[in-house]
Amino acid sequence: MAHKDFRGFLAAIESSGDLVTINDEVDWDQELSGIGRLSCERNGPAFLFTNIKDYGSRIRVAANPIATWRRVAVALNLPADTPLRRLYQVYAEREDKAIPPILVNDGACKDVIIPGDKVDLFDLPVPMVHEGDGGRYLGTWDLVVSKDATSDWVNWGMYRFMVHNERLLTGYPRPTSHLGKMLLEGYVPQGRPMPIAIVIGADLPSHIAAAATFRMSGNEADLAGGLGERPVELIKCETSDLYVPASAEMVIEAEIYPDRVAQEGPYGEYPGYRSGEMGNAICARVTAITHRRDPILTLDTTGFMDSSATTTSISGAIAIKRRLERHDVPVVEVYVPPEGGVHLAVVSVRRGGAEVAQKVVEVLTARRALMSKIIIVDDDVDVFNMAAVIHAFATKCHPDRGTHITRYEGRANALTPAYSLEERIARSGATVAFDATWPPQWPAETTPIRATLDSMYSPDVQRRVLQRWKTLGL
Amino acid sequence: MATEYETFVRDRSRILSGREVVLTLRDLSPGRKKYRGVNVRAVVSRPPRSGEPVLWIRSVVGLKDSKPCSVRIIEELPEAFAAEPYSDFFDVMEKAERR
Repeated sequence: MAHKDFRGFLAAIESSGDLVTINDEVDWDQELSGIGRLSCERNGPAFLFTNIKDYGSRIRVAANPIATWRRVAVALNLPADTPLRRLYQVYAEREDKAIPPILVNDGACKDVIIPGDKVDLFDLPVPMVHEGDGGRYLGTWDLVVSKDATSDWVNWGMYRFMVHNERLLTGYPRPTSHLGKMLLEGYVPQGRPMPIAIVIGADLPSHIAAAATFRMSGNEADLAGGLGERPVELIKCETSDLYVPASAEMVIEAEIYPDRVAQEGPYGEYPGYRSGEMGNAICARVTAITHRRDPILTLDTTGFMDSSATTTSISGAIAIKRRLERHDVPVVEVYVPPEGGVHLAVVSVRRGGAEVAQKVVEVLTARRALMSKIIIVDDDVDVFNMAAVIHAFATKCHPDRGTHITRYEGRANALTPAYSLEERIARSGATVAFDATWPPQWPAETTPIRATLDSMYSPDVQRRVLQRWKTLGL
Repeated sequence: MATEYETFVRDRSRILSGREVVLTLRDLSPGRKKYRGVNVRAVVSRPPRSGEPVLWIRSVVGLKDSKPCSVRIIEELPEAFAAEPYSDFFDVMEKAERR
């Protein structure tokens, strides 16, 4: 079973050598997040900052919980050196074994209760994550709970929230996100404020479930239970009927205005850029804060190779595979490389060709279009081996016939750096599939043969070479 | 009142027109409340006028202008503007200007 709370996870990654604690004073204004940013770029450890300028030691900040595969493995209670393919397999197996949450009356997240009229968000050491951001971001590695206005559907998502003033937050859950859909289709037409709870420092499976690419109307609390192999304990909020993980470090209860906006962004986001997507956001007024004694805030130093990159790599790939299977695409494996900033997917298929490539790109852009590039390879290419993928892409993808483009309006990813400012505002974009498979109509006798050990040598020679390799100690 | 602010703009010419404009300012005073947001009706001047708080302009991707301005705050506005969620914030501010 996974660790029951965030502190248990921190102890585990400290034991595995994947956490560094900094007790010297660090500035919340860029310095703290700069350390975290460099760590992401160097595949380095997570950090726990215990002494923060202007704030002292009362509230600590933990940066980049699972920005490496080692820490993802620990979060799933696996050995830190678990191979990536195995991580994918475990995630998929546990996703199929949902465990519903249980409701409790007491929880550590209620150690301290601050009513709305006493809230001052500037009492929290909220980091200024990047120089030039629109403000200080409280929600970077969070879990935002919301409930549909007309059904029992409860959504957990990971959405960014910025401090505007003492009680007002602005945020950017995309309008096409599950929260955005609930807000625009449910609460805004009724003119009702939408209650939300921004949960910080819950158990890791809960955050992974919130960040995951998951089906509409799916219950992420059940998914979190499955991923952690234990039910998540939930407790009711103080000012709404929402339920939150009881062991969380902090819960910020708020209401999204159905008829108000304030400035949000810009913000250096997970694709690895600050793309100027500001100006189309929501705002929420805090109604209460509850927290553990000596709470720990969490930070994902958003950008290239952040914590969301690993999470969406696994969950996004599995969601893509399931969707393609539902549409009868002969998919074998899918990999979303975290270096691609959730813009690139690699799909291997039993049988390729133009028709399959066109179908892949159409299926994957039907509702939301987050991936802008998809490389399709034959199933003799290991999708987790990017050297092999690049080789296939560079050599087998026809520069003309191998490119399949689908364009769309109103549902493109406004964070995609390649889009012009006008395209980002209009959410107008495109996805391209690169067909790096052999056309099925090509006869075997004229199809090129790959000049690799596993393709161009007899099984007997392969066996002898591998044996020799082993005896040489290589 | 703070002595230094920043603001994010899509259209510099609107801000630097010399007329009253609606802006969100970020307070750059050191300390816990640094980057606090405040909505104002104000006049921006470049080059900066003595006695007025310094204002730095940033683009929609956060790029900071090399030359500072100054800002004369005429009135502080409510913390949020009347508009549907996901409305274009820059359009909303322009509409607020005309009221």
